[in-house]
Amino acid sequence: MNDPNAVELLLVEDNPQDLELALRALRKANLSNRIHVARDGAEALEFIFCEGPHAARRITDCPKVILLDLKLPKVDGLEVLKLIKGDPRTKMIPVVVLTSSKEQSDVVESYQLGVNSYIVKPVNFEQFAEAVHDLGLYWLLLNQPPKVAN
Amino acid sequence: MHTDEQLRASLKEIGDLKSALDEHAIVAITDPQGKITYVNDKFCAISKYSRAELLGQDHRIINSGHHPKAFISDLWATIGHGRVWHGEIKNKAKDGTFYWVDTTIVPFLTEQGKPRQYVAIRADITERKAAEEKLKASTKEVIDLKLALDEHAIVAITDPQGKITYVNDKFCAISKYSRDELLGQDHRIINSGHHSKEFIRDLWTTIARGKVWHGEIKNKAKDGTFYWVDTTIVPFLNEQGKPRQYVAIRADITELKRAEEAAAQLAAIVTSSDDAIIGKDLRGVVTSWNDGAVKLFGYPASEMIGQSITRLIPPGRQMEETEILSQIKRGENVRHFGTVRVRKDGSAINVSVTVSAIRDQKGKVVGASKVARDITEQKAAEETIRQLNTDLEQRVKERTAQLEIANRELEAFSYSVSHDLRAPLRAIDGFSQAVLEDFGPKLPDEGRRYLQTIRYSAQRMGALIDDLLAFARLNRQEMNKRPIDTGKLVRSTLDELGFPWPNRSVEVHIGDLPASSGDPVLLKQVWINLLSNALKYTSKRVKAEVEIGCTKTNGAETFFVRDNGTGFDMRYADKLFGVFQRLHRVEDYEGTGVGLAIVQRIIHRHGGRVWADAAVDRGATFYFTLEKETKP
Repeated sequence: MNDPNAVELLLVEDNPQDLELALRALRKANLSNRIHVARDGAEALEFIFCEGPHAARRITDCPKVILLDLKLPKVDGLEVLKLIKGDPRTKMIPVVVLTSSKEQSDVVESYQLGVNSYIVKPVNFEQFAEAVHDLGLYWLLLNQPPKVAN
Repeated sequence: MHTDEQLRASLKEIGDLKSALDEHAIVAITDPQGKITYVNDKFCAISKYSRAELLGQDHRIINSGHHPKAFISDLWATIGHGRVWHGEIKNKAKDGTFYWVDTTIVPFLTEQGKPRQYVAIRADITERKAAEEKLKASTKEVIDLKLALDEHAIVAITDPQGKITYVNDKFCAISKYSRDELLGQDHRIINSGHHSKEFIRDLWTTIARGKVWHGEIKNKAKDGTFYWVDTTIVPFLNEQGKPRQYVAIRADITELKRAEEAAAQLAAIVTSSDDAIIGKDLRGVVTSWNDGAVKLFGYPASEMIGQSITRLIPPGRQMEETEILSQIKRGENVRHFGTVRVRKDGSAINVSVTVSAIRDQKGKVVGASKVARDITEQKAAEETIRQLNTDLEQRVKERTAQLEIANRELEAFSYSVSHDLRAPLRAIDGFSQAVLEDFGPKLPDEGRRYLQTIRYSAQRMGALIDDLLAFARLNRQEMNKRPIDTGKLVRSTLDELGFPWPNRSVEVHIGDLPASSGDPVLLKQVWINLLSNALKYTSKRVKAEVEIGCTKTNGAETFFVRDNGTGFDMRYADKLFGVFQRLHRVEDYEGTGVGLAIVQRIIHRHGGRVWADAAVDRGATFYFTLEKETKP
């Protein structure tokens, strides 16, 4: 029932270096298939809600996990999170906030909005790679997503 | 013949004597039984009995009943023995009146020596007796009067030279001198020095002229206390009209004088008071008006006494007086009532008014005393204070707003540091790692080491940023004080730090740790930082020792963490708690230099104090309190 070509992981990241490092870590963990990258909040929303360039996509083909940076151009990550979790069609998609911020306000607000996990990007790349590997493994391979009725 | 002549001559002489005696005296003769055998005319006259009524009677006919039986029997015993009796007898005349006679009874004897007859010769002494009685009565009266006077008054008598010749008990009592100490002295002994020389001179001039002096004198008693006497000095004159002695009669008026002085003092206070003190009756009519009232309201007393107090009250406040008067009539006082009154010149003044009921001796309210104080200045001062407070509040508000802005900016800054500053570091570290992974084999050893150094530096900067942000966050974090089980907190902290560190030899000794009060999250941070420091700086010891305990400093519970680590030089102790201040090289001991700054900030936020005691290579002890020390 799922499109075998459907996107498994949506990576929302504006910082090109962070993006490259994240992709490198995902690739090294053999999780590089069917990744879609959005470079700001607006792009992420268009993809998720099948608008603009993604109008042809079916909203039911949800990604298995969304890795979401918080500090994003145009629409920030918390706003994106709010819209995803506020819509019955998308609220089941696991969202992992992956951010530089250790600010308590961000953490609290993210959890209030229903985030599934909150990961602080460490400066140390090895730790970063490990975190990406772990969460990819968990959300993509181990987690059994609930069936969403059409 | 010669004898006849002689006899005649002597009979005549006797007859003459008898007629002379009859002229002069009351004569009676009785027989030995007392029966009257002879009375002369004078006897009849004084007794008012006729001769016929008297003769043959005995003297009981004129007995007055005045003399006791013993007196009569003594009389008879004397003359019965042939002796002359002399005495004074009170007799009763026929008409019931009494008369006194000086009586001589001569018994004439027989040849056997027995009384033959008794001749009684009497002289009328009734008047003398009456005068004597009168004298006796008036003497008694004088004695009574003197007694009464002594009971009532302070009495002294002096001679013309002023020497004291008599004092009564009351004089001794009030002067506290004994009679012996006073007699022979003059009045200087009780001179108080209060009166002028003129006063004393006037007194002496008056009495020396034979005139009565009257006045009030302040005297000094033996014990140095003073007393006031209302004094009357009466000079008694001799036949030459010169003073023979002075009698001074005094009354103790000390209490009265004291009351007078107190009243005068009160009156002086009222007069000199800056407050307006006004008396009024229950209709509000002014009965007294002091200088303070003149000054405050501008009306002289002559224009206010007898007038209604309402002329001081502005038209809109006339009801106040009605209310005050009805309150006073109920016996209630009005205290510090702030209101407005009008001066004579029409200007308004702020006054504080206190009105009290004046009662007569029976306790009935008969009027009111009103004390009014000008509070214009006080009002102005209050207004100034109010204004200052408002300004201050305004400034506090502005400053708070500025601080809030600064705080928000700081938050935004921290937020941006948190997000943006770490991203490049991550790139530096990440791409260095990528180079090492992808091209490591092609690089010389030196190149790989350089890349490792780049990574280390980037990671260290990441740690610095994290600590700095944690430190900055401390001030923004709310304090959440609650009771804390210190022992439990310390043990859980040790567990978190990896107690008992199987790869090291660390001996931890935990003493008695009393409960404390504070923010559990923040205090946990304190213990983490202090204990991890202790572990860090003992890492080069073969056998590390860490002691955790509590002692008292200046009355405050003082927790401490002692280690046997590398210690530090106390000369640099002042740098210990500064941000990014380190006393050791990074190569020797890892660290950013923020841990103790965080400790200090948390302790300060709890109102406590933190300090250290250490020596190079001999360990360090960190102390902290969570409460004010009672002694500085």
